[in-house]
Amino acid sequence: MIQLKNVAKTFRGKNEVQALTGINLTIPPGQIYGIIGQSGAGKSTLLHCINLLERPDSGEVWVGGIPMTSLGPQELREARRKMGMVFQHFNLLSSRTVFGNIAFPLELNGTPKKKVRERVHELAELVGLTDKLQAYPHQLSGGQKQRVGIARALATQPQVLLCDEPTSALDPETTGSVLRLLQAINERLGLTIVLVTHELPVIQAICHAVAVLDGGTVQEAGPVVEVFTHPQSEAAQRLLQGFLTVSFSPPQLSPEGSLIRLTFLQEKANQPIISRMVRQHGVEVNILFGRIDQMQGSPFGMLLVELRGSPEEKAAALNYLQVNGVEVEVLSS
Amino acid sequence: MNQAALSLLWQATQETLLMVGAATVLAVLGGLPLGILLAVTGPGGILEKGWLNRTLGAVVNLGRSVPFIILMVAIIPFTRRIVGTSIGTTAAIVPLTVAAIPFLARLVEGALKEVDPGVIEAAESMGTTLLQIIYKVLLPEALPALVLAITVTAVNLVGYSAMAGAIGGGGLGDLAIRYGYQRFRGDIMLQTIAILVLLVQGMQMLGDRIAQKLYHRE
Repeated sequence: MIQLKNVAKTFRGKNEVQALTGINLTIPPGQIYGIIGQSGAGKSTLLHCINLLERPDSGEVWVGGIPMTSLGPQELREARRKMGMVFQHFNLLSSRTVFGNIAFPLELNGTPKKKVRERVHELAELVGLTDKLQAYPHQLSGGQKQRVGIARALATQPQVLLCDEPTSALDPETTGSVLRLLQAINERLGLTIVLVTHELPVIQAICHAVAVLDGGTVQEAGPVVEVFTHPQSEAAQRLLQGFLTVSFSPPQLSPEGSLIRLTFLQEKANQPIISRMVRQHGVEVNILFGRIDQMQGSPFGMLLVELRGSPEEKAAALNYLQVNGVEVEVLSS
Repeated sequence: MNQAALSLLWQATQETLLMVGAATVLAVLGGLPLGILLAVTGPGGILEKGWLNRTLGAVVNLGRSVPFIILMVAIIPFTRRIVGTSIGTTAAIVPLTVAAIPFLARLVEGALKEVDPGVIEAAESMGTTLLQIIYKVLLPEALPALVLAITVTAVNLVGYSAMAGAIGGGGLGDLAIRYGYQRFRGDIMLQTIAILVLLVQGMQMLGDRIAQKLYHRE
């Protein structure tokens, strides 16, 4: 759906900033694709390069088979009308009501008045703001403003929705509801969402895949579960610090103990595998650290345990775990 | 107050209103486009053009640096070409407009530059043309500030119009000088000033009220 080939961008000025240095990224259709990185990593610039609000110095950008980087001004405007964009600070027109804001992109492409009214009501229903159509943005809460922003971005039925830190200006509760809305939109309309954020929980909650950006390049990209449980790059490991890695000094293990990290994915996290292992293999388990969480709605768990028993018992126990789909990592034995 | 004085005041008020009203309308027609051009061609504008911006800026500054009383006399040949005469109320409208256009243009430029760049970015992401950004984003978003800018310009023109007496333009200022000052008619002086004060107060109040109605922010 979206493909970036060797995209580079340098901001010239008093002090030059190399925002992007050769980005290669492929975003498949229908996914919620997260781009995460610390501030200054270039993630917002990357997003702006997709609809060419920032023109890359070099490289190619393709969206839905259209070579964005080689379009003329008029073609580019038409291509942009097929993409929606959602902003951190909403960027609503303060002089227009909610209705007027959602109608704005429809007016731009000359949609007849009656059609505009129908479409605006449809969108207001989708984002749950039917009773606010005559309100002005300053009368709305942050979450409501972002809902207007999302409705406006969807007005022209785009295939792609670009979200630039859509929840970073919202409180945690509102963040949850806006994320659920984005997820529902992705499921119902099947459109591709590219979401830039610096917050891990946002990626964890709704993204299918994620790219980790650092120093203007993609350090790592892949399915969220994979990147989050087995970060390969240093940048990803740094970002995920505290999410998986345990920040305590390893305890004194008993002579027959081994330090093991267990990762449970999907439905495995729901089964009493540990207690079965203990019963069947006569080992003892001492839980040192644990985390049970959800990723895109499916459970996910991580345990740091000390396994006690004879070498044969331990080997058999670990084998049992692996056979049952638990990922096992022996940290020290 | 006798009949003669009353009719003098009424006549002068009408002349002032005509001069200020006509010059304000003409100044909007000239100053608004000029101000838009200054704003969009300026640094960071949506049509950044350094040389054009500097040239326009220099012309605007030139217009603003000439004192009105001198401007009025200096452009007499131009005034004569436009309205056929350089004397009278109609003739005074020409220099008033010429003085008000650069003044308003700068105020318009300032008002448009206050529009949130994020909103312009959002509009661009929707595939707007340059004209659509101007008509559908910049002008509506800046409308309250523009109304206030026009109000300030009109109030300023009331002051300028007092000097129009120098070229036989008439109006309240002229009346105050000819009767109040030169003929020692203190009563007429006071009455003119009272009318001017009321006029300016009324204009400012109207401007404020309209701007307030259009203002949809916290």
